[in-house]
Amino acid sequence: MNVLKVPARTIAVFILPALLLYVCIVFIPIGVSFYTGTLDWDGINTAKHVGFDNWHRMLFDDPYFWPAVRHTLMYAVFSMTEIPICLLMAILLVRFIRKPNRIVSIYFTPVILSVVIIGQLWSTIYSPESMGGMLNSVLDSLGLDSWKHGWLTEKNIAMYSIYIVSLWQYFGYHLLIQFTGVQNIPSEIYEAAKIDGADGFKADRYITLPMIVPILKISLILAFIGSLQSFDLVMVMTQGGPAHATDVISTHMYNSSFLSQQYGYGSAIASFLVVLCLVFTIIINTIMDRVERRYS
Amino acid sequence: MHKLKKGIVYLLIAVLCVTQLYPLFWLLTYSLKTNEEILDGQFFALPKSPVWDNYSNAYHSGHYLKYLSNSVIVTATVMVCVILFSSMVAFAITRFRFKWGNLIMLIFLLGMMIPLQSTLLPLMIIFRDAHLLDTRWSLILPYVAFSTPIAVFILSGFMKTIPHEIEESAYIDGASVYRIFRSIIIPISIPPVMTVCILTFITIWNEYILAATFISDEDLKTLPFGVYSFVSQYQTNYGNIGAFLVMGALPVILLYFILSEKITKGMVAGAVKG
Repeated sequence: MNVLKVPARTIAVFILPALLLYVCIVFIPIGVSFYTGTLDWDGINTAKHVGFDNWHRMLFDDPYFWPAVRHTLMYAVFSMTEIPICLLMAILLVRFIRKPNRIVSIYFTPVILSVVIIGQLWSTIYSPESMGGMLNSVLDSLGLDSWKHGWLTEKNIAMYSIYIVSLWQYFGYHLLIQFTGVQNIPSEIYEAAKIDGADGFKADRYITLPMIVPILKISLILAFIGSLQSFDLVMVMTQGGPAHATDVISTHMYNSSFLSQQYGYGSAIASFLVVLCLVFTIIINTIMDRVERRYS
Repeated sequence: MHKLKKGIVYLLIAVLCVTQLYPLFWLLTYSLKTNEEILDGQFFALPKSPVWDNYSNAYHSGHYLKYLSNSVIVTATVMVCVILFSSMVAFAITRFRFKWGNLIMLIFLLGMMIPLQSTLLPLMIIFRDAHLLDTRWSLILPYVAFSTPIAVFILSGFMKTIPHEIEESAYIDGASVYRIFRSIIIPISIPPVMTVCILTFITIWNEYILAATFISDEDLKTLPFGVYSFVSQYQTNYGNIGAFLVMGALPVILLYFILSEKITKGMVAGAVKG
């Protein structure tokens, strides 16, 4: 039971600064966004009410909208497939390396760097040989000329090139989360299991996996929601090009609002994104809770 | 058999070390090469003689120091505000006897799921009308707002566990609420405050999209946006670009070198509690 009985004014002093700022910067803009989503507005001239026209156009008439949604969801799927690999590596690190923390810090290094640095670094790696691109030079020297590509300029490859960068950057992040989880499992449990004859991967199947489910859930949610919000890496590397081939929801929103000055339409996409994030968070949470219950 | 298995595991771990670090190392060698060296396809080769000029060129023509100090000013202000605001809220939620604590917590939690970019357009309109666009406030305000929820969450998780007897006796001795907050609760809460510091620092220091949208004044650009402008401006000056990227990464890398354990712990705490 909380003990401090204080007058309402004191409560206000402690809570209001953060709450007001928060409501003004996060909630009001979201509301504004839903509202401007019903306008035909270029941001300067007088706006015209058009009801749900923007939503209708987005869902049915925009040839680039659904591909952008697909790219975003693929982004999420790719990010999530990385997580089992991270778990496996975490288990191997804990089991085979005496001081695993050093290695985990090495894997973690890309996580702390700005997307601008990561994006530019990889753009350079992907760039054509004539511009010093590493990947194509490597392929060339291995005699794999036919594998060379314009990694960010060919329409059917560019999106995958970006997924790879994201997987590379966040590998260490998810590894670290799993690693901490595996490390926190008390070693007595493994010792007891060993006496009962469960060892190695059998112990992993029956001990590590069930005990790591809550952590796995966190990792999956972070990967999924993070991917739905994927934005800056694409902005830095391709801005959604070539010809919308790497557009995700956010870049499509950005380009529609800031490049083609369709503020109303951009707001509709932004609102869609908010709804999508909330809905998917709830869905994943429910699924994972069910999985968790089955294991416990 | 066992040895073979061990060998494979070590190999796997080593290969991943290389894939995670080699691109960064490659950038370092790249930044010390001449344009000719970069273009001749010898990607593994180390620079023949390191071209430090790349660095001095990038440093001067890229306004490195200006961007760096802008980043420092913005990040430091944001960190101070986030810690102050969020610890106050966490304190009120966990220690005061009042009805709406849970509701307020819920409001902050809800906000953690809202993607920052969906507020980009409305915020720009609001800031434009309030004449805040192209000032540091246009970055500081949203940064503070978006960093607060996770900070409140981490801090209140900790403050819940502080025994109530501590402030009870202080209260009976006549200490004011502000006094209890300042001299008892905050000093005890230093470890989670450090976690919040690290988490806020890494996210805000690296933030690019808001900086690129709300700021156009050369004198106010933060480092990530500065790096981006530099790269688009000096497109074919490969060595200089490499040097500027390295310098852009340097502050965080140095910090990571000194505090790697703390940083990794802080980032995981942020993830697991979020």
